[in-house]
Parts: sequence; structure tokens; C-alpha cells
Amino acid sequence: MSIFLDSWTPWPVQAGYSWAQPPAPEVGSWNFSSAASDKIAVNAASLRMSPPAVVAWDCGSILPQAISIALPRTKIGTRSFVFPAPLEIASPPRAASLNKTDPPSGCASTGSANPTRIKPPRDVIKLEDRLCYLLQPSLEALLSEGALGFPFRPFPYQFEGVAFLYPRHAAILADEMGLGKTMQAITAVRLLLHRGEVRNVLLVCPKPLVTNWQREFQQWAPEIPVMVVEGDQARRAWQWRLPDVPLRIANYELLCRDRELFAGEKGSGAFCRNGPPGASHKRRLTPFPRPHFDLVVLDESQRIKNRAGATNQVVRSISRRRGWALTGTPVENSTEDLVGIFEFLAPGFISADMKPRKIGRTVSDYVLRRTKDAVLGELPPKMVHDEPLELSPEQRASYTLAEEEGVVRLSELGDSVSIQHVFELVLRLKQICNFDPATGASAKLERLEADLEEIAESGRKAIVFSQWVQTLERLGERLNRFGPLQYHGKIPAKRRDEIIRRFQEDESRHVILMSYGAGGVGLNLQFANYVFLFDRWWNPAVEDQAINRAHRIGVDGPVHVTRFVTTDSIEERIDRILQEKRELFDIIFSDAETPRKLGLTHEELFGLFRLKCPTLPIDVAA
Amino acid sequence: MSNPGKKSPPALGFLTILRQEPHGLFGGYLILNALGRPLEFHCTAPIKPNRAQEILYGPTLDAFLYGEQIGRTLLKQAGIEPLLICTDQETTLSVREHTELPVALVLPQDEPPIESIVPENSPQKILRIDGAHRGGPKLLSFDLGRNRLALPTRSEDDRRKIVERLSGIAENLDLAEPFDRIRGAIAEARQAIR
Repeated sequence: MSIFLDSWTPWPVQAGYSWAQPPAPEVGSWNFSSAASDKIAVNAASLRMSPPAVVAWDCGSILPQAISIALPRTKIGTRSFVFPAPLEIASPPRAASLNKTDPPSGCASTGSANPTRIKPPRDVIKLEDRLCYLLQPSLEALLSEGALGFPFRPFPYQFEGVAFLYPRHAAILADEMGLGKTMQAITAVRLLLHRGEVRNVLLVCPKPLVTNWQREFQQWAPEIPVMVVEGDQARRAWQWRLPDVPLRIANYELLCRDRELFAGEKGSGAFCRNGPPGASHKRRLTPFPRPHFDLVVLDESQRIKNRAGATNQVVRSISRRRGWALTGTPVENSTEDLVGIFEFLAPGFISADMKPRKIGRTVSDYVLRRTKDAVLGELPPKMVHDEPLELSPEQRASYTLAEEEGVVRLSELGDSVSIQHVFELVLRLKQICNFDPATGASAKLERLEADLEEIAESGRKAIVFSQWVQTLERLGERLNRFGPLQYHGKIPAKRRDEIIRRFQEDESRHVILMSYGAGGVGLNLQFANYVFLFDRWWNPAVEDQAINRAHRIGVDGPVHVTRFVTTDSIEERIDRILQEKRELFDIIFSDAETPRKLGLTHEELFGLFRLKCPTLPIDVAA
Repeated sequence: MSNPGKKSPPALGFLTILRQEPHGLFGGYLILNALGRPLEFHCTAPIKPNRAQEILYGPTLDAFLYGEQIGRTLLKQAGIEPLLICTDQETTLSVREHTELPVALVLPQDEPPIESIVPENSPQKILRIDGAHRGGPKLLSFDLGRNRLALPTRSEDDRRKIVERLSGIAENLDLAEPFDRIRGAIAEARQAIR
């Protein structure tokens, strides 16, 4: 057996180095064939042999491949927004009734489970401005920050209403009557005032509601001084000019009388006597700086629905930075009504020739409309039922005669017949539906008396609405045993609050008789559980306003609404048209289907008597 | 941008990162004054790790992205130095390695107090050589006003700083609320850019 030993091993190969062949190793071989001996003697000299051939390998070919994986630092794009330093919370103009150490009673705290977020209106385009709204604290936190307390805990939807109004320069709060538009508007105004975002606010409302607004401000924002613009022209001029008045309340009629003050360029204006009321009238006339307001709020803004009307013109002429409209009925008759309001808020934004559905989409970011059904699950139901009544024989005879004579007369007028002629006949027939002019017989009154017996028996109260003062006075005589109170245009404004108070507090007063005009808006009569519409108004929105005097927050049970409709009469025909108007409203403010017809046209009015319309359609009937 | 020497009114920083597929991660950093009013807002374009980063950073990838990549970038943009930085994500706490400011995790108020996420003597304890996964307790929580905060145990000293800096204002602060604002703002910014 031979063993060949080679002590040589390859040298490490390094790229770029050359190498020389190493010296030949010493090599020896042993012969193990002799098994006789374990000892082997080796003569090294005898083992010396000539060197073997050596083969060299080039190991450079096995160089490893290095792969570098780059992990560069990623450059990240950023956007930065720096917001203006927040204003210090303005001190309440007068000592606030709630201070920071007293937690606002019932006010949702900063840590409210579902805080209300203020979202930017759609017309705020700049991202920085939009983020400035989105990054604000919740509405509850903002209110808490200013220690703005509430006498009652607002509903979540009311916070949403405030959050809707607060950032908007043009807005309609169109909640159904009774949801607290007043409180929401006051709170939004209050927040703006406290945060210094507005400094002078003008609130315009119908005259009968001025005291109501004063009361509401006292309740919801007692720290805000309120000035009611009133009195003679000199006094009003002085009031308009007074600086540092956070909130003025004026009525529409008065505004129209002072229209010259608001006309012209900002800073200019009418001439007026310089000095407080009572100062010498001989004072020199000085230019009256045109009043400017940071915010103008129009209550019952349907008052400006007529674009050509004086009220609309004067409110549009007021110099202002923001404008809000409050109304439960932004559309009473036709889309023209909404266009009229928008001429104040954002002139030219919508036009009457737009389709209702398109108008609905266009104004959606400007209008907030909630219904009681949607937001007040806990509000007792409103149970409306139409009470069809047969005319008494006396009424029927008078009615038939009047209608026949009237129609004949209209026919005889031929092409000279006007809408006024038709109206006269309609009114005449409606009055007969209330009372027979000759005998005083009334199917409606009989039914009303029967219902009131029951209501009085149970200690409840009722409101009866009519469009005619004469009807209400007649009812007052006939319903004497129920202690009726009357509230209509003949009652002086200064007596009206007292009447409401008596109706609420005097247990013997079971019924109040109201005209749609005087009692339809702004009153809180939630202590009455029964509403009777003795006759029907021209549009359902006004009727809803009336009904919602009773069906509103605070009502302690279901509200029963009875709408008297005499069968086979003009009332029945008008009722069908009113239903169509409801459908128009729905299509603008909801996803209702397109109504069969829109508005009350000339044709429809003439159609009440099966007469052919001689002229083009008119805007509306009322 | 941050100027530590600059005297600013007391402010608080809120840092959060949103993962929105398929775009990746969006960072948002909001600085509020003590009343919760916004002073600054910074946000990032979306970033997405590549495959190599996923492989090589392994389990430390999120900490790298949230803290070093996004967090540090946003903090550098700010002009105001807040009293502390709050986050609602544990991973974002890794930004503490890149700032001198204390960084606290805001826990939900109903979260039980944290003493040790992985107990020291846990038989299942896995020892890792990388910081993100080392064993032992990771977070310690404490209450401040109505808030429950947590800190990495290695930053426990920050607790004293936070308590000192927020003394007097902590009672009125809801430190969890601003993160909703950041999410809303990032959504708005994304929409605007689209």
C-alpha cells in the first residue's frame, strides 16, 4: 500500500496578485508490505525523488458577485399651513350670568360623546381656509371656551344648526316650525360676537315678534345688550348711528320707513339731524353715514319673497358682510319665493326659470332644513285630520246662489275679467262656508262647539285660526262659555303679550281665536293641544306655521289638528291645490317625485269655477 | 423650521399617521394652543415603503416609517415648539428618538392602565437584539387630568416633564380629540389635491 502525501495546498488567490510556483515539496513513500515488523526504518536519502509535475488552477473565476441594495432616504413631500393667531375671547359686553367657574348647565362639555364639528361651507375654496374650519375645536368646546351657558340643554340637531350658521356668510335656516330656529340663530350670533368675528348685528323681524326676540335673547344670551330700533324718525336716526351696539332689532315696516338711510354707497347715506332724540330740530343737517352691519338676520324671511316688493328692496340695500334668513317656509307658493330670499343672500345665485330639482341641488349647501319627524323622535305626534262637513241647508242655499250669480257675472265680464274678480267670488264663497250671511248658521261652528265642550271638560286649551277678523269676532260671541281670547290685527300690539300670558295662565280660558296673519308666526303656544283651522289659508306653509304654534318643543302631549273643509264647495277645490303646493316644497327640499303641477296659476284659479283663463299665468294667488 | 429658542405661547403637538391603501401612509401634525385652537398644520404626501425596505427593515419598518421618516420630517416643518407631542399610535412613539420633546401616547379613556405589555418573567419572552422588539416592559401609563397617557419605559423621565409642562391646563384638555381633526384635515387635503 502506498501513500502519496502532498503537503502543498493552493495559496489564497487574490485578484490583482501574481504568484510564483512554490518550491517542490518533499515527498516520501513508504512500503508497508513487510508485515513482520512494526518498526520501519526509513532512509531519507533513499526516498528522495525527482519533483512531480504540478498543475496550477486560476481561481480568479470564482470571485463572488456583490449586489448593493440602495436604501436611500426617501424625500417626503409636505404641506404646511399656519393659521392666524386666534383672537382672544371677547369679554361679554355686559357681565355674563355664567362665568367660567360655573359649568354651563346642560351645556355639552368639550368631552361630549359626539362633538359637533364646524364644517366649511362649499363656497370656501382655499384649502387653508377650509382646514382652518376643520381644525377648529368642536362647537361644544368653543361654547365652553367662552363660558356660554344655556338655560336648557340644546338638542344635538340644534348644535348642528349653530354649526351650520356659524361659518356661513349666506344661509337659510329653514327648520320646520317649532324646532328652535330662534335659539339656534341666537347662539350662532352669540358665538360670533364673543369671538369677535362680528361686532354689530341687525336682526329684522315682523313687528309683533320684536318682543318675542327680546325675550329669547334675554333667555339664551343674557349678556348681549339688545337695542330695539323704534320711536320717531329722529330717535331712530340716532339709534341707527350709535356705535358699539352689538345687536339691534328692527321690524320690517320700520326698515321700509328708514329705507333712505340704507341707500347709496357704503359710508354715504341720507342727511339727518345731528344729535340725540329731543335735541333741537334746528341743528344742522349732517350726512348720515350709511349703516353697515357685519351680519343681518332676517326672521320670517318669507316676508321678502317678492323680489319687486319694497321690503325686499330695502333689505337688499343694507350694507352687510353676512346675511342669514330664518324661515320655516322658504317656498310658500312657488320657486320665486326662494329666489326672492336669495336675492338678499347671494344675488343672482338662482333664478326662477331653473327647474325645482336643480334649485334644490344648487342651494343645498346654503339651506338647512330639518323636520320634527326627522330630529325629534320624542316630540309627541301631530295628528292632523281633515273634517269634511256638509254645509247647513241655509249655507247651501246661500252658497249655491252666490256661486251661480258669481259665475254668471264673471262670464258676462268676458275678456275684461280679472283675477280680482275671481278672488272676490272666492272670498265670498269661503265666507259663506263659515257662516250663512243671512241666518248665521254654521256647520263648522256646530262642530267646533262640540269639540270645545270636550276640550274644556278635560281642562285642555285650543287655538282656532281664521283668515278673517270678522269670523273670529263672530266666533268670540258664540263661544263665550269657553272664555275665548282674541289675537288678531285689531288687537293693539302692546296688548298682545298680555293676551298670550292670560291664555297660558288662566285656566278658564280654553280657546284663543287667532288670525293667520297675527298669530301664525313666532308665538310659542305649546300649552295648547288642539288646533282648529276654521277656514283654509291660500298656501299650506302658512297653515303649517299656524299649526306649529302648538306643536313645538315643550308640548306635553299629542297635538290634534282639525282642518274644516266643507264638501262640494270652493274649500274642497282649494284643498286640492294646496296639496299640490306641498308637493312643490317637497321636491325642492327632499327627494320627492316631481309634482303634477307647480304653483297656483291663473288657469287654476279660473278653473275653480270652470272658467277659461283669458290671460297669461300669474305668479301666485297670495 | 423649528426654533427652540423662540418663545411661543404654550402649545401642544399632535402627530398621527394614516394608512390609506393603495396610497400608503399620510402623516399629519397639528399644533394647537392651550385652548385647542389650531396654530399650525403640516401634512405629508403619501409614502410607501419599497420591497427592499420591507425585507431589510423587517419588523422595525413601521417604527422607521412612522418615527424617522414621517414624524421627524413633520416635526422639522413646525415653526412652533410645543410643550409635548401627543400621538395616538404606539408605533409613532419612535419619533422620540429624533426630538428633544417628550412624546406621549394618548390612550383611550377606557383603556386599562398599562404596567407591562410583556412581563419580565414571562416564559414566552422572546429576546430580540433590535430595539423595537426587545423584551421587557415597553410602556408605562399614567393619568393626567382626564387623559390617560403612556410612555416608553426608556423615556420614563419624560413623565415628569409632561406633568410639569401641563400643570394647570391638563384638567381642561381632551388630548384624544384633536386626532379626529387631523384625520378630517388629511381627508380634505387629499380631496383638494385630487
